[in-house]
This record gives sequence, C-alpha cells and structure tokens, in this order.
Amino acid sequence: MKPPAKRQLHIASSLDDALVMRKSLGPSAEYFAGGTWIMRADLRQEFDDRHYIAVGGLEDLAGVAVHQDEIVIGAAVTHGALAGAIEGLPDLAALSSAAQKSANPAIRQMATVGGNLCTRAFAAADLVPALLCLSADVEIALGTELTRMPLAQFLAGRDGFSGLLVRVIVPRQRRLSAHARLPLKKAGDYPVAIVSVSVMLDTAGLIRNAIVAVGAVEDTARRWPGLEAQLVGRRLDADEIAAIAADHADEFSGREGVEAPGWYRVKVLPELVRRAFADLPADKCGG
Amino acid sequence: MTLTLNGEDRLFYGDPMTPLVDVLRDTALLTGAKAVCREGFCGACTVHIDGVPTPSCLKPVGLVVGCDITSIEGLGIEDDGMTPLQQAFEDHDVVQCGMCFPGMVMTLTPFLRDNPEPTREAIKHALVGNICRCTGYERIIDAVLSMQSTGEISA
Repeated sequence: MKPPAKRQLHIASSLDDALVMRKSLGPSAEYFAGGTWIMRADLRQEFDDRHYIAVGGLEDLAGVAVHQDEIVIGAAVTHGALAGAIEGLPDLAALSSAAQKSANPAIRQMATVGGNLCTRAFAAADLVPALLCLSADVEIALGTELTRMPLAQFLAGRDGFSGLLVRVIVPRQRRLSAHARLPLKKAGDYPVAIVSVSVMLDTAGLIRNAIVAVGAVEDTARRWPGLEAQLVGRRLDADEIAAIAADHADEFSGREGVEAPGWYRVKVLPELVRRAFADLPADKCGG
Repeated sequence: MTLTLNGEDRLFYGDPMTPLVDVLRDTALLTGAKAVCREGFCGACTVHIDGVPTPSCLKPVGLVVGCDITSIEGLGIEDDGMTPLQQAFEDHDVVQCGMCFPGMVMTLTPFLRDNPEPTREAIKHALVGNICRCTGYERIIDAVLSMQSTGEISA
C-alpha cells in the first residue's frame, strides 16, 4: 500500500508569480483552478506527490467580455458564470448550452473553462467541442509573452505546454450553433458522447459551411471533417444530415470506459447529430 | 489558518489541501455535511461558501480562508432552530435515512431565494447534484412546492 501522497498548495498572487512558481517547482507542479478534477485524485488511484499552484483567483484569468466581434473568456471563469454572461446570444448557443448543462449546478459554480480545456484525462468536457465548433482561439502565457493559437492546435499539444492558459477568444460570426449531449441519466452525469455544431447559411438557407465537433467519444474532442464536407449546399434537414452522419461514423474510434463501451459512443453519434441540427434556430437563419 | 465558519472564527492547524468536508467533520465536529461520494456528484457535503452552494469534498481548506462558510448547522433561525424549508421537510415527513438532507437543504435554500415560485421541473433541475439513496425525491419536491401555497418561500 502506498503512503498518503504529499500534496502542497501554493497560492499565486499574480500571473507572473504563477509562472515563476511553476518553473521553480518543476515537473511535479501543476495549476489548480476549480479543483473539481484534481481533488478526486485519490479516487483515480493517483498518489504521486504534487505541488498545486492555485490560480483561480487571479485577476488576469477572470471575467467574460462580450464584444460585437468576439467574446473573451478568462480561463478561471466558471461554467456557471459563463452561462450567465452569454445567455440569449444565438450565435453562441452551443457554448451557452454546454456551460448550462455540464455536470450539476454546484460543480458548474466551481469548474472553470481553463480546467475543462487543460485536463487531458477528462475526455467528456462539454466546453471543448462547443468551443471547437465556434473556432475558438486560446491565449497562453509563456514567460513574459502571450501566445495565441487555435484551440485544436492547443489540444493537440497541451501535454507539452508549460505555460498557463489565460483566456479563450471566441469570434462572433453569423453562425447558428447547438450542442447535444448524451448522459446515461437525464442530467447530472458525464456524457457518453457530445456533438456540437455551428453552421453558416447562404441567402437561400442552404449550408455554406458547417463545423461539427465531437467530444467524449475519443480521448480528445475533435472535428468531424468527413461529415462537414458532405453538408455544404444542403438544407438544414436534421434527419437527412443524421443519415449522412451514420455513413461517416467510422471516422471515430470510441474509447472504452466503465460507463459505456467504445462502440456505443460511436453508435449514438448520428442521433446526437440529428438532435443538434434540429436544435438550430432555423427561424433566425440568414446569410 | 483562520476560517470563518457559521459566523465564528475557527482555527485550523493542518494541511491546506485537506478537503473542507474533513475539516468540518473531524476538526470542527460539525457532522451535518456528509462525506459520501467525494466526487461532487452526490451533494451530501454541500455547504455555502460566500453564499454559493459548494461540494465541500472538492474544496481545499487552504482556498476558503477569508470566505464566509456556512454549514447546515449555521442555517437555522436562532430562536426557532429551523428554516421554513427545514420545517416543510419535517411537516411533510420527508426525512428518511437523513444522509442527503443537509445537502438538499443547502442546495435548495439559495435556489428558493433566487426562484421563489419554482415549477416542479425547475426543482428537479436544481436537485440533479443531490442524490437521495432512499429515492424519496417526489415527497421532497412536494414539500418544496407546498411552501408556495403558504407563502413561506420568501420568508
């Protein structure tokens, strides 16, 4: 039996302070924002000694700024705060839905945007596919510089970044978006699979381009390029699009888990695609 | 560390990474909050931190210094001992094993403050993070709804 892990808490007073701490404490250090994942380390049998640098209270990581052309979301913003800040904005409906429906109300007041994006081991993070379908960028503090990159690039290399995710930038476009998730019970659970979609329509109401992102099915959320390519020029017909999704579902290889086998996660994707497209507010469409 | 717990300053000498629920139960001897799932899913350890319902199993005590912490023991009204919500639970004979009830009360109290006339569906949504192992959900919801007819929610 392993002895109890030594976990030390360090509270950063500024962004610079956090970066210096991370460098000086070495590879056993990691950032602590909402703590909803880290505090369950024992349940995952993770008993390694760790240094946790608390960044949830940093001003640089706080707040949601809603502008006409983009929204800027601090990495320490909670799901609950995000949902409140963007409620009713039709172009951000997928993100709003993801922030409102993840986990349960108390967790939504703790779990942060940055934590959702940085926790590689948590495959069922709702915000990740929602932000992917909205073409979000992230800004990371690396030393004295802020580096901006597309979210997909960050997800692909997040194990290699020693910097601190500071904020997320979501462009505001004339797009419609929606978010569909399948938990094992109606609410308060992790989803087996997630589909987030955003579409831009032409003046005839046909799809000019579509972004479909899938979460929880594989280890990391990603876009569905085969399906996206088939949707250009089509009507917003949810049943028809679901049938196309079924033909392209083999682009995914479902991860095995105690809550669902891999094949099941893939099997439910077409239905989630149907629900997501059916949820797009068609009456607000326009090129 | 000095904690502000139910309006009083309390000292805690220990590891700042200790979950708040363990400090409440083992050091402050306030056993209303229950450490059940330790995952933030059952709601049995819910307390208010600066007024926000929070699973105390997921909160390191080192991060609540300077916060106003209220546990179920700090919720009652001085003379009477129970809030209207607690009274409604008793009046409707809702309590079964009692494991989930402190958490239910801590979740519903601010919810009812912000939503004085909730629908049955809204109450269910508010309680998705509180699990009752006796499965007594419907009577819990009935008790909450009964408060509307008596005007007690805004009390």
